[in-house]
Amino acid sequence: MLILKTLQRAPLHGYGIALSIKRLSDDVLTVEEGSLYPALQRLLLQGWVKAEWKMTETHRRARFYTLTAAGRKQLGIELTQFDQMIAAIGRVLQDAQGA
Amino acid sequence: MFSIIRFFRKLSKLFGRERYWSELDEEMAFHREQAERELIAGGMSPEAARYAATRQLGNATRLKEKSHETIGFRGEQVLRDCRYALRQFARSPGFSCAAILTLALGIGATTAIFTLVQATLLRRLPYPEADRILNISDVRLHGRSTGGLVGVPRFFDISARSNSFDQVAYFYFDEPTLIAGTRLPEPIEAAGVSGQFWKVFGVRPFLGRTFDERDTQPNMPEVVVLSYSAWQRIFGGDASVIGRAVTLDKETATIVGVMPQSFQIPGATELWLPSTFTPGGFQNRGDGTRFVNVFGRLKTGISLPAAETDLHRIGEQLRREYPGTDAEWQFGSEPMRDHMFGEIKPALIVLLIASSMLLLIACINVANLLLSRATVRQREVALRRALGASQARIVLQFLTESTLLALGGGAIGLGMAYTLVHAVAAKLPGRLGLPGAVTMDWPVVWFAFAVSVVTGIAFGLVPALRSRHLELSPTLKRGESRLAGSPGGDVRNVLVAVQVAISLVLLVGASLLTESLWKLMKSPLGFKPEHVLTFDIKLPWEASPAGVDEFYANVQRRIESLPGVSAVGQIDALPTADWHLRSNFDADWLPRIANHPAINAEDRHIAGDFLRAIGASMLEGRTLTAQDALAKVTPILVNQQFALQYHPAGSLVGKHLLIDSEAFEIVGVLVNVRGTAGSIGQAPGAEVYFPADGGQGVVGRSFVVRSQLPPEQLTRAIQQQVHEVDAQQAIRNANPMDDLIATSTAQPRMNMALLGSFAAIALLLACVGIYGVVAFSVAQRRQEVGIRTALGATRVQISLLFVRRAMTFALIGVVAGSAAALMLTHLLKSQLYEVQPNDPVIYIAAMVLLMIPVFAATLRAALFAANVNPVEALRAE
Repeated sequence: MLILKTLQRAPLHGYGIALSIKRLSDDVLTVEEGSLYPALQRLLLQGWVKAEWKMTETHRRARFYTLTAAGRKQLGIELTQFDQMIAAIGRVLQDAQGA
Repeated sequence: MFSIIRFFRKLSKLFGRERYWSELDEEMAFHREQAERELIAGGMSPEAARYAATRQLGNATRLKEKSHETIGFRGEQVLRDCRYALRQFARSPGFSCAAILTLALGIGATTAIFTLVQATLLRRLPYPEADRILNISDVRLHGRSTGGLVGVPRFFDISARSNSFDQVAYFYFDEPTLIAGTRLPEPIEAAGVSGQFWKVFGVRPFLGRTFDERDTQPNMPEVVVLSYSAWQRIFGGDASVIGRAVTLDKETATIVGVMPQSFQIPGATELWLPSTFTPGGFQNRGDGTRFVNVFGRLKTGISLPAAETDLHRIGEQLRREYPGTDAEWQFGSEPMRDHMFGEIKPALIVLLIASSMLLLIACINVANLLLSRATVRQREVALRRALGASQARIVLQFLTESTLLALGGGAIGLGMAYTLVHAVAAKLPGRLGLPGAVTMDWPVVWFAFAVSVVTGIAFGLVPALRSRHLELSPTLKRGESRLAGSPGGDVRNVLVAVQVAISLVLLVGASLLTESLWKLMKSPLGFKPEHVLTFDIKLPWEASPAGVDEFYANVQRRIESLPGVSAVGQIDALPTADWHLRSNFDADWLPRIANHPAINAEDRHIAGDFLRAIGASMLEGRTLTAQDALAKVTPILVNQQFALQYHPAGSLVGKHLLIDSEAFEIVGVLVNVRGTAGSIGQAPGAEVYFPADGGQGVVGRSFVVRSQLPPEQLTRAIQQQVHEVDAQQAIRNANPMDDLIATSTAQPRMNMALLGSFAAIALLLACVGIYGVVAFSVAQRRQEVGIRTALGATRVQISLLFVRRAMTFALIGVVAGSAAALMLTHLLKSQLYEVQPNDPVIYIAAMVLLMIPVFAATLRAALFAANVNPVEALRAE
């Protein structure tokens, strides 16, 4: 979900995805960076992202990932589900405090 | 839908695999470089930056594997594991060969026995709804029966009164002489069958038609149905035989059909002909009518117990209606499969258990081998784990290896079993030896495959699971010293104890069977089978009694005058023939009670010089002569068992047996001749010997010819003589008496040979196993041995150290094995002849037989320890 969200703004390469997740979360979410790649392969397989080789600003070849229509739809579903879950957790916590 | 798209994406990745890897590599390298550059920009040294970036990215191999898991097919991983396993095997061919051969023995033995079980107890019988076909037998309430044979009048009573069967039918054995075209007269195995016989079994003919009630009416044109093998043998498989006329017992008959090869009822029958008996056709209901085998097809919805009850009801009615003849008899029934294979079922079950035990021993040996190897391979495992292989991957890898070993063993074992079954199928005893009776079919192949996979997983599981508890860093460091109680030692020793226990069970079983066979072989037969040729002649049923006597007297004289023949005799059924004829008698020394005959004995009819020809001696009185057939009061002989049973004190000579108002004078008592009504393992019963001649009409007789001549030469000479007496008559079943006895002990000999070889292989494997375990523990504890020797332990002490430990477990195995044997050998009870399944002498013999080689193997391995050079052992550190 995080990867999909990151890609919503612009196509990025793997390192860029890792960097932006790290920055946007203020360094809270730093996973083993490498595990990004198996995840990306899975997304490719699902058809939620597509990949193409492009040149970077530093003139190096890199694989850029773009969100597809299916991926956008999936992101919507996942965000909704996530919101519902957060809301549910919030209600439980409030209830616990109120008691 | 999505899964299909996903499948094609995976497929496209499969073909662009090279590109995929290089792209992934490039992508990850790019990531690392970017991170590295940023770290350097942040002020880190280039070298430190590279390490930091790599650490941050994680284990590259592991990550690539994970990506691969996503895009790869599951089968690919198995394939890679297989390739890796094969490389491992190639690197240690000795280990692989030992493991595969051991497993091949176990799986081969189990598969071969399963082939027998499948062919007899499991495979669908070749008759539609075979579970509805019952064999109906006639059984005496007390004493010996006549092999289940039913009296013909009683068959018609079942047919008329029973309401459980759609049809009932009978067959009887006939041995007519066939003349087909220009061929010489030849004896043929035939069955006379009633009209509904074909409906009971419901098998369609291969060619032409069968016959029915219309053909079994008296005075109908004679028709015959050929068996597949007779059609092949006599007519060369010519399809135009239908409608052809042949001469059968001097009468013309027309071939109307050929049965498929799978139809073999009764056993080796070559030809079926209609039997024309009618309900009123027999004057009396006596035991002379008791010669048909009866089968019935149950009505739909009628259970076996219901049919049994129905038959009992009819039996009860007949007992009341005919107290003179039927009072002693009741009907029994059993399903077709039990009738065909019930007798060998216990032996097969024993053999199946024995072969499974052998397989278990083989598995244990291979498990031990794998355990030893796993210890050696600990470093490899630790290395792979350190490089990122998960526990599950390692376990899966181990299981792949063991399953591959088992499949290899299974393939070779299947080949061995196939060769064995192919080679011996025709020589198997009884029904099993019929063509097509025992063949290897697909279920057997699947069985072998399943057994291989299951055993592969079973014996691979122990080392695989042990690999999980592995401390990485100490294993990777070399030179970790091993002292007593090294890991895995106890598991191995327990496995050895189990092996010893199973070997003991098999050895006890084999010893019991050997002892039983030995007792059977050396129990006195009552006659001398050496240098005796036997053959049969059967004249047509219609032959006149006087003509029969004359024919046989003529043949007797001609054979007697052949050079090299010392004695010739005739009898209606040879010892070992499964032939039954019993009579009820009263006696002049016993009280006569109406409908309660005092004596029931097996009848035989003899002529010529039977006693001298077969080599049986008289105990008392005289033997029968040619004149006796014409005497007013017919003289008879009885056997020793008869005398023992009915007149224990005093002489029987001069006493009389009575049938109704006719008296027979006992003129002599002869020894017990074994095998009179079949098995030579059966204790002899009471027997009465009548003269065969004198208008009795004994049309079928066996000759017993005592001669030193080679059997083939003698047979040719006799054939010539018989041909000269009657050119339309043939002789059949020319066999040395020795061969008949060998055939009748074939089943116990097969059991003994199979169980014996299983036990021998088991013993060998157990010795190899215990040797391996001790040798391995010696190798593991080399340094300890070195220290002990350096501290002054003697060679004997060192050897004892190992021997004692191994023997402790072996003895535990012996105790457990004895207990298991005591529980299991009662299964053998029905196979044993004059041996008790818990005979202590045999147990002790088996233990000695087991412990000597086991001890030798242990000692040999332990002596290596004694020869360890302490300086070398300690330096090896």
